[in-house]
This record gives sequence, structure tokens and C-alpha cells, in this order.
Amino acid sequence: MTPETHDAVLVFSKTWGAVYLSVVFLLAALWTYWPSRKSVYDKAEQSPLGNEEIRQ
Amino acid sequence: MTRQLELNVALLATLVVFVLGIAILGFGRDIGYVLHGWIIAGTAGWGAMYLINRLSDPAPSIPLEYKDDVIKWGVLACFVWGVFGFTIGDVLAWQLTIPAFNGDMSWSNFGRIRPMHTTAVIFGFGGNALIATSFYVVQRTSRARLASETAPWLVLIGFNLFVLLAVTGYPMGITQSKEYAEPEWYADLILLVAWVGYLWLYMATLARRAEPHIYVANWYYLGFIVVIAMLHVVNNLAVPVSIAYPKSYPLFAGVQDAMTQWWYGHNAVGFLLTAGFLGMMYYFLPKAAGRPIYSYRMSILGFWGITFLYLWAGSHHLHYTALPDWVQYLGMSMSIILLVPSWGSVFNGLLTLNGAWDKVRTDPAIRFMMVAILFYGLATFEGSFLAIRPVNTLSHYTDWTVGHVHAGALGWVAFITFGAMYKMVPWIWKREGTYSLRLEAWHFWLALSGTLIYVGAMWNSGITQSLMWQTYQPSGAFTYGFIDTVDAMRPYYTARAIGGLLYLIGALIGAYNIYMTVNGPRVTSQDADARPLARPAE
Repeated sequence: MTPETHDAVLVFSKTWGAVYLSVVFLLAALWTYWPSRKSVYDKAEQSPLGNEEIRQ
Repeated sequence: MTRQLELNVALLATLVVFVLGIAILGFGRDIGYVLHGWIIAGTAGWGAMYLINRLSDPAPSIPLEYKDDVIKWGVLACFVWGVFGFTIGDVLAWQLTIPAFNGDMSWSNFGRIRPMHTTAVIFGFGGNALIATSFYVVQRTSRARLASETAPWLVLIGFNLFVLLAVTGYPMGITQSKEYAEPEWYADLILLVAWVGYLWLYMATLARRAEPHIYVANWYYLGFIVVIAMLHVVNNLAVPVSIAYPKSYPLFAGVQDAMTQWWYGHNAVGFLLTAGFLGMMYYFLPKAAGRPIYSYRMSILGFWGITFLYLWAGSHHLHYTALPDWVQYLGMSMSIILLVPSWGSVFNGLLTLNGAWDKVRTDPAIRFMMVAILFYGLATFEGSFLAIRPVNTLSHYTDWTVGHVHAGALGWVAFITFGAMYKMVPWIWKREGTYSLRLEAWHFWLALSGTLIYVGAMWNSGITQSLMWQTYQPSGAFTYGFIDTVDAMRPYYTARAIGGLLYLIGALIGAYNIYMTVNGPRVTSQDADARPLARPAE
């Protein structure tokens, strides 16, 4: 690898890499906190509290 | 996957491992290596015979119940490795206090038995605890039986074979000298086979679930399995010298190798010792307390936060080395931001106990879990702090690091494991409860005092070391010789060995309590009104 390639890869990962990670994290946060999805989590958090009968 | 196909795949994998064992025992030159060949060939050969027998058997009818037999063996392996690992650890602590204890024997020097301790506790104790509890949790939260009858055994036996090869290899000098990744290539290949089986089994069981949503504990467990697979493969890329010797050379050289190693090392902490055990916490704490997670959505956000941030933090192990500065600062920044999701999980865990705090007083298992969360909070704060470069100039290469690691390992990992085990063991063996709550409480207090003594001693010794190393005379010469700093450690090392001994005694009491629980009476299926009435004595 030439030093120029190294620098180019470095700049790419420092800029677009950071953008990519932030966007994916934001999407995950939005998805999780989207108001209409509240009922999914309200139901899920009760999941371990019952007697957990096997169904399958 | 049909039963036939699944058995064939398992048989193929077992035969590959069997051939590896035969090759090692046939071509190997060193006694330890040949012994390993026999262990591998013996285990895999026995497994292959078992699978061939199953292939010719008619398909057994699978009962509509959870598959818990493999979990029971996982619990046994967890406690056996745990007691072994804690014992070796305390032997080491006494050797450091009184060096004559190493007996002047090559196999008992620090470099050889220290990895026996770390492998036995991290992989033997922690790994088996994660495998056992993950099998329990994925079945209950999916309302489905494990997706295979053979794969769980392949995973458990393969994993424990790896730990056995590792721990028996070190005293004979078989190591690739990478911290927490010491086992040589042939043991790594066996772990790879077991781990691919684990990943497939976990996902196949989730695919069978009768619930629409995948409960968050499974996210953490799956994150642990996927990331460990990735780390293990990349960090162990190596070229064996010859089939006749265990020795291999890593694919990467110099600082690249160091960076790969600490990318592995820190994420083993992040995904084995953190994400996996957070999965344990997010199931067993709500279940035991009878309260839902304080904020289910925060637990998901915490998952993504930890997943995104941890993978960048490893370079903080290489501050002020040949690693480029920007990589060091990247690791430092990510380590500091990591405090946010870490403490998010801490508060989520503690606030889950709102409305059930009385159980912290009455139920030692919940007390174990509550204190585990406190130590998790302490260790993650300390970790972010130590990752700051100037702080690292004080702490690096000192016992402070050792204290930090043990705050996490003894205080968080082992406490949450003991709490979960005291709940899960009566559930899977169908017992009313543990044999003795009083012994549970004894275990708790011994473990807590042991940890506090240990960590306190190491904070003192670490900072003392660092300050003595960095004290100069006006001429610029060192004020203290290195041996002076070693001599100054006497009181702290004695305290540490005593703390470790208390912890070990606690774990022995815990193991006895678990044994007596398993040996004790089953839950009676009779209703209260079907039992004879209690009569007053005449």
C-alpha cells in the first residue's frame, strides 16, 4: 500500500465512516422510540414475567 | 434442517476434528502436544461414534418441553472451572506475596499459570455461564425448544475441549503469547467449529420462536456470539510452522499485530464480559424481581450504543506506543463516550428494582445482582477514566489495571453469574429454592469483602508503583530502583491474596449450596389442599 492510498482510505473512513455510523445509530434510535412502536415494547417487557409455557 | 442432514453435518465436523487429533498425535514431537492430540482424537472419536449410532437409530420423539439437560452440564462446567480458576488465581497471589511458593518449578512460574487462571475464569467460568444461561433464556423468551438435539452438545463439549486444551497447554509452555488468546492454532480451530455451531443453533432457535418480538436479552447474547466469532477468527489468523509442533506465527506483524490483539482483547471484555452478561441481567433481574425492565427502549438503545462504540475502544490499551496518535485518540474518545450507554444500563438495572427493593434485603440472589450492577457502574466509569491518555501515563503497567479488571470480573461478571445461578438452578432442576439462603448470604458477604479488599489493595499498590517510578532527583536520575517499588508492594500483595482467599471460600460455599440444591427434594406437584394437614403435637 502506498502512503497516498493509506491517506485516502484514512480520510474516507474518518469522514464517511463517521457519517455512516451516526446515521445508522440515529435510525436505530428513531426506530426504537417511534411512538407507534411503543405497544410492541410494552408487550415485550412483560414477556419474562409470566410462566413462559412452551408453545413450540 | 432435517435431522438426517443435521446429524451428517455434525458428524462431518466431528470427523474433521478427529483427523486433526490423529494427525497431531501421529506427527507431533513434543509430549504436551501429543497428549493434546490424544485428548482431541479421543473426544472427537467418541463423539463420532455417538453420532454414527444416532444416524442408524429411528428418529426419537422430541417432547414438548424445554431442553434443559445440556444446561445442567453447563452449570456443572461453570462451577468446576470457576473453583479451579479462582484457586489458581489465589495461588498466584500468594506466590507474588511469598515468591518461594512457586517451588522453583518451570511449570508453576507466573507466565505459565497466570493464563491458566485467566482462561479458566473468563472462558471456563464466564463462557460456560453464558452458554448455559443463553440456552435457558432463548428457549423461555422464544417459547420454543432449542432447534437441535445434537448441536447443543457439540457446542458445550467443543467449547470445554477448547478450554481444557488451553489450560493444560500453558504449564507445558504451549502458548502464542497473545493475552486472552493464548491457545495455539489447533485449539483455535476447535473453538471455531463449536462457535459456528453455537451461532447457527441460537439463530435457528430464534427462528422457531412463537413470540413476534425478540426479547432484548437475546440481542445482547447474539451480539456476544457474533462479535466473539469475528474477533476470534481475525486475531488468530496465523501460520502453523508444521504439524509436528504447536508453534505458529501470526499473520500480522509489529504494531498491526498489537492493534489486532487489543481490538480483540478489549472487545472480548466488551462482548463476552459485558454484552453477554448484560443479556443475563436483562432476563434474570426482571424475572427474579417480578418487575419489568425499567425502560425497555433504553435497553435497546444501550445495545446499539455499546455495539457501535466498543469496537473502537481497543486502542486505549496502546497509548504512547508506536500506534499512530490518531488511533490512540480515537480509542480514547470512543472509550469516554462509551460511559453513556454503560451507565444507561446501570440505571436501567437499578431502577428496575423500584418497587422491589425489599427483595435486596431478603433475597441474596437479587442482592448479588444489585451489587453486580453497582460494580459494573464503577468499572465502566473507571475504564473510561483510565482510557484518557494523561491518566494512562499514571495507571498503565501498574496494578491499578489489575484492580480495574478485577472490579469488573469479580464484582460484575461473577456477581451477576452467581445471582443468576441461584435462580436458574432451582428452576431447571425443579426445586423449591436453593438449599440454604443463609449460605447464599455467607457467599455474598465473603465475595463482597474479598472484592473490596482486592480492589482497594490494587488501587493503593498501583498508584504507589506509578508515583515511585515517576519520582526523579534534581539531576534527573530515578529516586527509587525498580526493586524498591517491588519491595513496597508487600502489604498490598498480602491484602490482595487474603481478599482472593475470601472470594474463593465464598465460591466454595456457593458450589456446595448449588450441589445440595441439586441433591435436594424436587418441587411437589401437589396443591396445598391435597397435602395432609399439619397437626399440633399431642
